[in-house]
Amino acid sequence: MSKKKNVAIIENEDSLFRFADKTDARESEKIIAPRYSYWKSVFRVFFRKKVNWIMISLLILIFLTAFIMPFLWEYDPMENVADSKTFNLSPAKAMDYFGGFSFKYCLGTGALGNSILYGIVASSRTSLSLAFICAAINMTIGIILGAVWGYSKKIDAVMLVIYQIVANVPYLLVVSVIVYIMSAGFWSLIFALTVTGWLGIAYFFRTQVMIIRDREYSLASRCLGTPINRMVSKNILPFITSVIVTLLATELPSYISAEVFLSYLGIGLSADVPSLGRMIQQGQTAFRTFPWAFWPPVIVAAMITIILYVLGQNLADATDPRTHML
Amino acid sequence: MKKYLAKRILFALFSLIVVVMIVMLLVYSLINKNVIFQTDDTWNKKSSNDRTIYEYTQYKKYGYVEYEDYSSFIKDKYTAIYGEDYYKQTDFLNDKKAIQDETTFKENVSVQEFVKKYQAEGYQIIYLPPVKYKSGKTKPGGNGYLIATYEKSVFSRLWDYAKGFISIETKNQVEDPNLTDRYIRFEKDPYSGAFALVGSGTQHKYLIYFDSRFPFMHFNWIHINLGTSYTTYRGQEITTVINAPTGKVIASKQQYPAMIGTDEYADTAIDFHSVTYSDVELTGEEKDLFTDNYTVYTLKREGLSMIETSFLIGIIATILAYMIGIPLGITMSRHKDGIVDKIGNLYIIFIMAVPSLAYIFIFAAIGTSLFDLPYKFANAEVKVLAYVLPIISLALPSIGGLMKWVRRYMVDQMNSDYVKFARAEGLSEREIYKTHISRNAIIYIVHGIPGSIITCLTGAIITERVYSVPGVGNLLTVALAQHDNGIIVACTVFYTFLSIAGIILGDLLLCKVDPRISLSGEGGGGR
Repeated sequence: MSKKKNVAIIENEDSLFRFADKTDARESEKIIAPRYSYWKSVFRVFFRKKVNWIMISLLILIFLTAFIMPFLWEYDPMENVADSKTFNLSPAKAMDYFGGFSFKYCLGTGALGNSILYGIVASSRTSLSLAFICAAINMTIGIILGAVWGYSKKIDAVMLVIYQIVANVPYLLVVSVIVYIMSAGFWSLIFALTVTGWLGIAYFFRTQVMIIRDREYSLASRCLGTPINRMVSKNILPFITSVIVTLLATELPSYISAEVFLSYLGIGLSADVPSLGRMIQQGQTAFRTFPWAFWPPVIVAAMITIILYVLGQNLADATDPRTHML
Repeated sequence: MKKYLAKRILFALFSLIVVVMIVMLLVYSLINKNVIFQTDDTWNKKSSNDRTIYEYTQYKKYGYVEYEDYSSFIKDKYTAIYGEDYYKQTDFLNDKKAIQDETTFKENVSVQEFVKKYQAEGYQIIYLPPVKYKSGKTKPGGNGYLIATYEKSVFSRLWDYAKGFISIETKNQVEDPNLTDRYIRFEKDPYSGAFALVGSGTQHKYLIYFDSRFPFMHFNWIHINLGTSYTTYRGQEITTVINAPTGKVIASKQQYPAMIGTDEYADTAIDFHSVTYSDVELTGEEKDLFTDNYTVYTLKREGLSMIETSFLIGIIATILAYMIGIPLGITMSRHKDGIVDKIGNLYIIFIMAVPSLAYIFIFAAIGTSLFDLPYKFANAEVKVLAYVLPIISLALPSIGGLMKWVRRYMVDQMNSDYVKFARAEGLSEREIYKTHISRNAIIYIVHGIPGSIITCLTGAIITERVYSVPGVGNLLTVALAQHDNGIIVACTVFYTFLSIAGIILGDLLLCKVDPRISLSGEGGGGR
């Protein structure tokens, strides 16, 4: 009775299934799934948001203006210095004085008759280059050293002591001393901002790396004898791409803010380098009497930093593989 | 735990010392000393040898080098012999003239004494020969000079600093053979009515006393010397600069020590708690008013000191920030992706991304034009209103930061298993948020509280500058601009100490709030 039933089932299965041809052993290992490409998914998720389109076009606009316009609009803060009638003119008066509408004076003039608009354009170039160069240097050094620092326990013990000591030296002091030693200028400010700046980033990455270092899959790979450099580059770094981008989103604007802050205190760039911080510093003394010399650089600085921050945060969200699910 | 704490404190002390050493190396050895003359008109006017001598005197003033001059050496030498009229004596005039001749100056006895004395002390002797025209006349500023200089090494600088850092007064402090009755004891304080620790033979008379001024209990017994200002507050100790009230002198009806026990009162502003010992014999008038040699005093002033102003603004802003920031963060996470959350996120982005200088000016513009609040601190007619804008400017950014972190921690906790379990058990949402999620999320916030309270003492650089608040926030920046190395070192010690103390206290509080956390590594989940 029971035997008969079994036979019947087998017969049924025969009609449903058939043996695969013994073709390729490798082929049979493959699992059919939708094709997944990491970076494609990142950009798909990123561009799904309309805000990002707007932000990207604004950023490109700002970049083009900041890097191309200074060639067409030569900014000379001292060009009207001989004519005291041009000092501190409101936009309407400035255009009136210089004969009709002109882009150059559509934002008025500053304390020495300098064009505010040209000043802002030239300054944004300084601020943007400063932010990107500093971020590139600090992030590269910070990530590489942070990965090594987090991975090796011997280095960790030494670096922790160094970190805890250096983190306590006032940041202002380091920057101003270096600027005094090297004399104020664009490159000495970059040096001052990067000489200890990477340490914080490296410390942040050390913690991230330590978390992943002791995960089960890392442990398994270590048991299988994967060399350290492969472990760092294949097991750890891909996992923290979104962390890197998140950090970048806060780092980039922070250098622009730092430049503004330092220029306000009179430390940092030399007088011949146009910068947003210097313009804000010059405008703030009379920001209620001559608002047109103060608010435009503030608004531009705020705009650049907000765009960089929002774009960075959204890109960080998109680089997190968990958001890639359809 | 105690062992761990001791280790932490020892390490903190070690890092404090290293930090001070690094800073001393930076400001005394690495900075190009010449920058102090860039805007100095006196330096520009001087020429030749006079300029070199001026440079050395300035270096000494700024604390870079020790410097001794031959002319003051012979002045001391002959004052000891002849008294006040030393400059009329031929010996003195001969010695003074001797260094103007570069061929024979070494034969002079005084010159030899000078060289011998300072070489023995490790000084470097520098002779600047007179600069003359071909006619033999001395060029302007070209007089010959003989000087001895000595540049301290970082280690000896650090040692000197550490030696003078803490001093405790003893009853044998005052070197006066006439003073025989020496003691330190508790006595009734005639000025406050309470008890005070009174000393005789100590520098201060009142070592510990109470009065109505914040922080009510005052110590003169133990004195911490952070350093001396070279330029900004000429020669004053930084501890005094930041602690002394800055307002007007206030006189009141008080009794001099000699009047105590009588009905006599005098109208005076003397702070009798501040009296220190005077080595000089008392004048007749002083003898009538004072009963002992403690006659050197400071005056009572009204208003707040620099550090009190900064702390008052900072502490109110911090309390406001926690009171507003935490509930807002919790509300944002409860209505995630709702309208409150979206507005909150916009605000957080604004605070995180925009340069702080920019938003402080935005707050200032809104406050002055819409609410008619005073802009500059000194111009305020109603003093209390002057505090409003600085407090708001400090509180609003902290609120943004707190909102961001509280929201982040709350959202993280919301997805954890215990919350799902609590929901499955049928607890109400209110209960879950109030007793489970919030309490777990707040733990991380607690860690920062001691730090944010303590760092109120260091003041706020931009806020204080924008509103010209007379606080301590700009001490370091002004010192940097004026090359006031004493203040720079003092600020470093002060800031480093406070930040380390804040972190250690934060860790301890964290342990108290969350018993699962163990700092020493014994037990608990940490490694």
